[in-house]
This record gives sequence, C-alpha cells and structure tokens, in this order.
Amino acid sequence: MNPVRLFGIETEYGIAREDSETADPVVESMELVRAYLDGHFTRRWDYRGEHPHEDQRGFRVTELAQDKEEDLFAEQDAHRPFSFHEMKSDLVLPNGARFYNDHTHPEYSTPECRTLKDIVAHDRAGERILWVAAQRRNEVLGGRVVQLYKNNTDFHGHSYGCHDNYLVSRTIDFDKLVRGLLPFLVSRQLIAGAGKVGREAQERGFTPGGFQISQRADFMETELSVDTMHNRPILNTRDEPHATREQYRRLHLILGDANMCEYATAMKIGTTRVVLDMIAEGFVPSFELASPVEAIQVFSQDPDLKAVVKRQQGGTISSLEIQREYIDQARRVLTTIDKETEWVLQEWEQVLHYLENDPLLLIGKIDWVTKRWLLETFVQDEGIGWDDPWLASLDLEYHNVDPERGLFCGLEAEGRTTNVSREDEIQQAMKHGPLDTRGGLRGLCVQRFGEDISSIQWEGVHFNGKNGKLHLDLLGHLEPVSVAHCRSLLERAKSPVDMIESMAAK
Amino acid sequence: MKHAYADIQSVGSFDRKERPVDPISKPSGPGEESGPKRPETDSPSRDNLMKRMRKVDPKQAEKYRQRTGE
Repeated sequence: MNPVRLFGIETEYGIAREDSETADPVVESMELVRAYLDGHFTRRWDYRGEHPHEDQRGFRVTELAQDKEEDLFAEQDAHRPFSFHEMKSDLVLPNGARFYNDHTHPEYSTPECRTLKDIVAHDRAGERILWVAAQRRNEVLGGRVVQLYKNNTDFHGHSYGCHDNYLVSRTIDFDKLVRGLLPFLVSRQLIAGAGKVGREAQERGFTPGGFQISQRADFMETELSVDTMHNRPILNTRDEPHATREQYRRLHLILGDANMCEYATAMKIGTTRVVLDMIAEGFVPSFELASPVEAIQVFSQDPDLKAVVKRQQGGTISSLEIQREYIDQARRVLTTIDKETEWVLQEWEQVLHYLENDPLLLIGKIDWVTKRWLLETFVQDEGIGWDDPWLASLDLEYHNVDPERGLFCGLEAEGRTTNVSREDEIQQAMKHGPLDTRGGLRGLCVQRFGEDISSIQWEGVHFNGKNGKLHLDLLGHLEPVSVAHCRSLLERAKSPVDMIESMAAK
Repeated sequence: MKHAYADIQSVGSFDRKERPVDPISKPSGPGEESGPKRPETDSPSRDNLMKRMRKVDPKQAEKYRQRTGE
C-alpha cells in the first residue's frame, strides 16, 4: 500500500491580447506573471531538479520530439532584450505554488496537496491569482484587453496541458502501473472531460462540427512516451520524482483536460488516486484494450456513450463498462476505505448512474455535460448548425476566467454549479499552502524569509547565510507528522539560521 | 530583494452562490432527494446565460492563436 498520499495540478492557460493581432506571446506571458509582483523580478527558481529526458522505463533519451522546435523558438526569441530565465519569470508564491511562463503559456502549478478539498481550493486559487495578474496587467495597458482561458486548445491544432501528478511508491512495478491505469485513463474523460466542438489534429488545423467529450483526446498519439509536446502519450514516462528516487515515482499524467467544475476536478484526482491505491494492493484489470489510442478518440467522439472498442482478449467494451469494472473491483481490492475514499466511490457510482440514465443531472458538476447542454440550448435558440464557427467561440468562452465574461463563471454566479470549496477556502488557498504538506512549508519559507532565499524548487530551499548557503531539504517531509514538526520550527524561527540549527538539534 | 506580491484582497470575493459538497461528509446516493435537480428550461438564469452567450464574438475562436504547449 502506498504510504504517502500527495498530488498536484499544473495548468497552462491560454492568453490573448484582444487589442492586438501582433502581440508577442512570449512577452505577454512574461508580463502577465510579473504583473503579480509589486517589486521587480529576481530569479530564484532552481532548474537543477528538472530531468525531462529521464524515462521511467529505465533509460535516458538523448532528445525529445520537441527539442528541434524548442531550439527554433529559442533562436527566434534570441533577439529579445531579456534572457531565457528572465522570460520564464519563475515565481514561488506565498502559498507554495509555482507561477511562471512555460512555452508562452502562463502556468500555475498548485502546491502539493493531500486532500481533495485542498487540491480543489488550490486549483481555484490558481484561477483567481491569474485573474488578479490579468487585471493588473490590464490597468497598465489601459483596458480589459488581456484575457485568460483555462482550456487546452486554440482550435487551430495547438494544444497546451493540464497535468495531474501523484506520488507513487517505486515498489510498484512500472509495467503493472501501466497495465492497471491504461483502460481507466482512456475512459476517465467520462468524468473529467471538458468537452469540445469540432475535431483537431496536432498542428494540422481544425474541422468544425459535432461535439466531443475531451479537449485533449485528439492530441493523444501513443500509449507511452517521455515526450509532452509532440507524440503525446496517454501515460507520460518522464522520471522526475521530486522525491527520493529510490523510494518514489511521480506519475505525470498529461492526457487530462483543464476542468472548470470543481466537482470534476475532485473526481478526476479522487478516482485516479483510488485506482493507484488499487494497483498498490495488487489489482490488475481483467482485460486490456486492443488499441488504447484509438479507444480514447472513439470514446471522446461519442457523447451519447454508445461506442464500444475491442479488447485484446476478444470481445468489445464501452467506456461506462470500463469505469464500472474499476468501481466494482475497488471495494474488493482496497483493504482500507477512509472517508474521502468512500466519498469518491459513492460519487463515482452516482456519476456513472446519471451518465447512463439522466446526464442533465450532472450540469454544473461535469464539464462536458455542462458545456454540451449550454451549446445545445444555444443551437436550438439561434437556429444554427453544429458547424457554425460561433460554437467554437462559445466553447472557448466557457473557459474564460473573467467573471464578467466566462460562461462557466456565469453559471457559477447563477448558482448552477456544485462547488467543493467554500469561497473562504479559496481565498485562504491564495495566501497559504496546505498545512499538512511540504507545499505549505515552501510557502511559509517565502512568507517568513523570502528575502533570504537564494534558490528554491519542489525539493528544497537554499537561503543566503552569513557563512554560506543554508539548505532546507524538503525531500524528507512527505508525511504529515514530519511536515507538522518542520512547520512548528519554521513558525518559531527568527531567521533561516535559527531554523536550520533547530532542525539539526532535533 | 524580497518579492512583493499583489494584494490579493483587492480582487474581492467572486460572485458565486455557495452549494458545496463535502468530500468527507456522507454523500447522497442515486435517487435520493438531496441530489442534483434537472435544469429548468425557462428559468431567469437561463435567459441571463443566453444573453452572455449572444455577446460572444462569433469570430473569437478564429482569431485565437496559441503556441503548442505541453
């Protein structure tokens, strides 16, 4: 059984300048991140913890599919009057989150969370923080011209990600992890799909018409790969644990959609965490899919949930049947079911029941159902066809984080959404990290000793000391007891030296 | 130099009606009365939403271009 429960979400936002067709996306993303600062930017993020070429299957690739394109962009970007690191503008916020410019997208990575309540509050806090930054940037530009979209496509064949991450014990064989996860991930879109009009292909444009469940399914090209920007996999094999390598893996899932519905976010993370617990207990599905990549696209293009795909062992199976197999096995396999797991299991059963019998009961809970209902209503009211370009614009606007424009925001203001977080919990998450994870410790370091930090990343913090650098190692602070102890020392310490000495004394 | 971050109080509370579910409280099962309700097709909120949707520029997605991300 995996002893530690930790997860986080990284979201790349779409950004647009509505007053200019020639605005530079590199500059716009950089300026948006920096708009969140009152002071000037100082680089502190430590990139030495990043190893995108390491593969979970036990090897290191010499290059990624995107390397050539990245080199080309670097060449194009070279004329700009700022360095690569200035362009990235990496910030670590007082709530332990990372906020930076990644591949011309403002990216918000939540601090590590241990509960569904916390991950939802921090995901929503990210939307608010980006909206604060956009408002401040718009004040400088003199109008409401910068708009942000929490989605995954530009409807021209360019996709950007929303990645969910889980700490997993390395005692679980990677092949078993893959076998246990693949059918679940292919069908997880039933719960976590954000919905999309039309079809796309990677950098090959957009075909209008129809509605599909997932924003990302069109961009999944293979089952397993270390790549993230091209040849995208259902299960990313990047081996970058951000924890003790001998003990842990980080499961880095890049197939997911960015969710607006809090309930969908909770269920995306909750069901995936339950499946990981099942795999840790030895669960292996009774079947494999003949073609998982084909399956994810077939299921996505079937919002009426009638499609079936081939099983390797013969016969066919639907997305609902796959999800049911996991729920049915969960209660048999899991040796302990805590309150949060019980909530996930019961809600999971309920969602599948409603999807099969009365999907409209999931409006405000599941994004693709909500978006489909909005668009169907609009199509009927306006008498337009599903290939009308207006629908792609409405799809995009569903994800606008501007509370006065976004369609999801409009639903939320009308009380049509089911929230998991209270408003005060979101406000708290904008300021503070979770009390029981190292994400909260990281945030506390920024709050208390921010001016003493020389470098910072997921695994630790370096401080400037009178006699050299001081290091707070966060690798060992994964368990709640350890986090609580470190937190009490951090809260009492008068300086980083005081804190490090107190920790050493213990 | 210490980073000074935006005053997040300035954003204020967002306009949203609270209807939270609690992942650690007892959930309701299928068919129970406390579950979600089907949307009313002629409610005032539907009209508000349709107004918001009609304001969207039909060419907005056509103009929206991003670079490939991860």
